Amino acid sequence: MGREVSESCVDSLLTEIVSTYNNRFYANKPELAARRIEAIGYQVGHQLSERYTMERPRFSDHLEAIKFICKDFWSELFKKQIDNLKTNHRGTFVLQDNRFRWLSRISTDPSVENTESQDPSAAAESKASLATMHVYFPCGIIRGALSNLGIPCAVSADISNLPACKELLLSYSVLSFYDI
Amino acid sequence: MATTACFIIVSRNEIPIYEAEVGSAVKREDAAQLHQFILHAALDIVQDLAWTTSAMFLKAIDRFNDLVVSVYVTAGHTRFMLLHDSRNDDGIKSFFQEVHELYIKILLNPLYLPGSRITSSHFDTKVRALARKYL
Repeated sequence: MGREVSESCVDSLLTEIVSTYNNRFYANKPELAARRIEAIGYQVGHQLSERYTMERPRFSDHLEAIKFICKDFWSELFKKQIDNLKTNHRGTFVLQDNRFRWLSRISTDPSVENTESQDPSAAAESKASLATMHVYFPCGIIRGALSNLGIPCAVSADISNLPACKELLLSYSVLSFYDI
Repeated sequence: MATTACFIIVSRNEIPIYEAEVGSAVKREDAAQLHQFILHAALDIVQDLAWTTSAMFLKAIDRFNDLVVSVYVTAGHTRFMLLHDSRNDDGIKSFFQEVHELYIKILLNPLYLPGSRITSSHFDTKVRALARKYL
């Protein structure tokens, strides 16, 4: 089960997923496209979490599962560790990655926009919305992995400074009936 | 080789997604229901025990007459339960580990909905072959 895929293939696939869902399947309905992409990510996260936890002992509580996501899972998936982890001890975690690999190829230079009729703020907005489309898949992966490990949560990402990416995990309060 | 053995996989939502009688004894009609009954009754015990340890293989957790229930829990809380009459702990552990690998392969299939029944005959054949080998 240890075969490898080239990273550029994965990058191209992800770019194509976003572009197809936005322009062909759900043209003019970006919210639906976003939800579909996130759902694909959810299933992938479910599968990957099962696969990467195979060799190691199980988790005895939620904090260990989150630590696993932040360390081992993140480095298997994105090939580097996260740079910062913050929590409010009430169920919200912020994972910060200063050079998120999947977004590292998105241009941050505003002068490459080709239409002159757009004023700078609109151009910046459309670029931001394009970039946000690309983070739905990683958010879905993390949500799927956490749900499989027993922590239902919502994951959102903040990409105000590319290529840094902050993922916000809101887990519902840890009352016992969410245990498996 | 165990003369009676029944193997089921239960997903995290308490739904059995795979069942197989893998023993070598002659199959009696009521035996199948009895085996399933014993395994389902053991689910509560697994639930409690799974939180006390971080190991995956929980050995014999319950017994009924001379049949023993052994359980293996994955990180995603999918339970592999085996009802058997042998005492071969190492063989059972290897059996569970190999079935775990097979299960992950099924899970990685994008057309398989996690939590649904496993209908692949290939998987079935392999599980029975593993049972013959290890139990």
